[in-house]
Amino acid sequence: MENVVIKGRGAIPGKASGHALVCPSSITGWGGIDPVSGVIKEYDNVNKGESIKDRILVMPGSKGSNGWSCYFSVTRTSGAAPRGFLFTNVDSSCAVAAVCLKIPTVVDFPSSSDPCLVIENGDYVEMDGGTGEVTITKNPS
Amino acid sequence: MIKLTPEEEQTLSGRYGILRQKALENIVSYAEVLGARELCKVTKATVFCGRHEYLDACGKDDFDEVFSRAQLGSDETVKFDSLYPSCHVQSCVGPCEDKKNREFRQSDALFTVNRHYLDRAKEAGVTIVGTCSPYLNGWIPIPGEHFVTTESGMTILGNSLWGACCNSDGIEAAFWSAICGRTPLWGKHTREGRRGNVRVRVDASPKSPVDWDIMGKTIGDRLPVNAVPVITVDFSQVSFNNLRQFVTAIAVSSNCEMCHIPGVTYDARSEAEAFAGKIPSYSIDISVDDMNRTYEKICTPKSGKVGLVSLGCPHYDIYQIKKAVDYLKGRKVAPGVNFQIWTTYPIKAVAEANGYLDAIREAGGDIYTGTCPTTIGRVFLEQFEGLVFDSVKQSGSVRSSVSAPNYIGDMERCLDAAVSGVWKEDYRWKMS
Repeated sequence: MENVVIKGRGAIPGKASGHALVCPSSITGWGGIDPVSGVIKEYDNVNKGESIKDRILVMPGSKGSNGWSCYFSVTRTSGAAPRGFLFTNVDSSCAVAAVCLKIPTVVDFPSSSDPCLVIENGDYVEMDGGTGEVTITKNPS
Repeated sequence: MIKLTPEEEQTLSGRYGILRQKALENIVSYAEVLGARELCKVTKATVFCGRHEYLDACGKDDFDEVFSRAQLGSDETVKFDSLYPSCHVQSCVGPCEDKKNREFRQSDALFTVNRHYLDRAKEAGVTIVGTCSPYLNGWIPIPGEHFVTTESGMTILGNSLWGACCNSDGIEAAFWSAICGRTPLWGKHTREGRRGNVRVRVDASPKSPVDWDIMGKTIGDRLPVNAVPVITVDFSQVSFNNLRQFVTAIAVSSNCEMCHIPGVTYDARSEAEAFAGKIPSYSIDISVDDMNRTYEKICTPKSGKVGLVSLGCPHYDIYQIKKAVDYLKGRKVAPGVNFQIWTTYPIKAVAEANGYLDAIREAGGDIYTGTCPTTIGRVFLEQFEGLVFDSVKQSGSVRSSVSAPNYIGDMERCLDAAVSGVWKEDYRWKMS
């Protein structure tokens, strides 16, 4: 198995690990996910039907309605939260989601190591929200 | 490390109470995640009040408990009972129509608990207006004013057209700012964050509102993250309503919070001024064919029976309502069609005073306030065989909730569909 290490800016400290869910076109705000189950509902999302629960959620940033962070933040109480966030570039909506969920978060990766391009669905990711270091194990069994 | 003023330090020490303290703690954490160095003072806010469906995830109804967990991110229950004194705060859309719930298949229990949530917000100082279009009620930020809003269309309109300053933040952060009067000095609150970084050229002459709507989505779908597009197109047919339709469609299909339209929007008179002397990192060319392809992707093909025709996303102004009345000319909607126009409380009152409300009711429809179909949710939408909207935003939000045929067209074609009870092939939009 191949290990890849990339580094961004640590935004919310803490360590997390899990299988990646990569949404290269993000997930739309207002109704993009079911916050009770964590399942993606967005009609044209490549991961429609997948759940964000216990995943390392990888997105370029936010998309759509200002009602974006709220769908993620209430997963804290429903138990459907992801374990960590990796955002290619921070923006205001994804920053609020990270603050509300209080899960390890790494943002602002250099263009040469965009996590949306480096990481694939199912890769095993270990991340440190303090140092910004992200270790990816490709194609785990 | 965030540089704080003495007042902010005192707020964090608890001098102004635990609610303001918690709100500012969150704003400081938010600023740290963004990489901001200081905060700025917020003087206008819209907040998302009411017992919205997404709050089901909290598993309870007690207002203070839900507010603390969902909006403050706090396991400790904190009473929401005040706002920052100099911040003017209005409510965005709620989950229920102002007076009616059963015709939207919402329970009396939900209507009652929602009313309680709105009353609690009102007691804390929020003016309940229930609209996505606060400017229709005179809530208009001026150039350079820092504001927060829970409405993406308001964010991009305020930044672009009025030269005011706002990030997309989110529902929780809008409450934090309304309570502590601060937001991170970052992004669209700074000169650098407002600089154009993407050139967009559109080879088209948009005229009707749906032309502008589809053009907005076509641009938004192609924008990179954190884009501030500088858009060149034939703006000879621009109007306020075309512009708000256009920028709202950009906002909901990207994370764009601001655009420059040299000669139209506030910050820049020319492309060069919009880019502030820097070379854009990205260029996008949009053609009529691109716009037609966008429409084909989002409007269900072929003819179909219609169950719901909903107009007013963003909420209609009085002239749009008058235009609908004039176009109907006394015709009635087909049996079985639910025909709705959504607007604000004062606009509905003006519509009533001018006889437009009676005209819409005589046609078999009604004018509603306080919310919109997608905010009410699946419980209402799932009953309809076919859905007709004059808005990319409403149509797209609804499509994630229900899979019924979903048609988009200009107001006139939507009204034709309401009268005939059928969406016909020749109602389909095509950019010429």
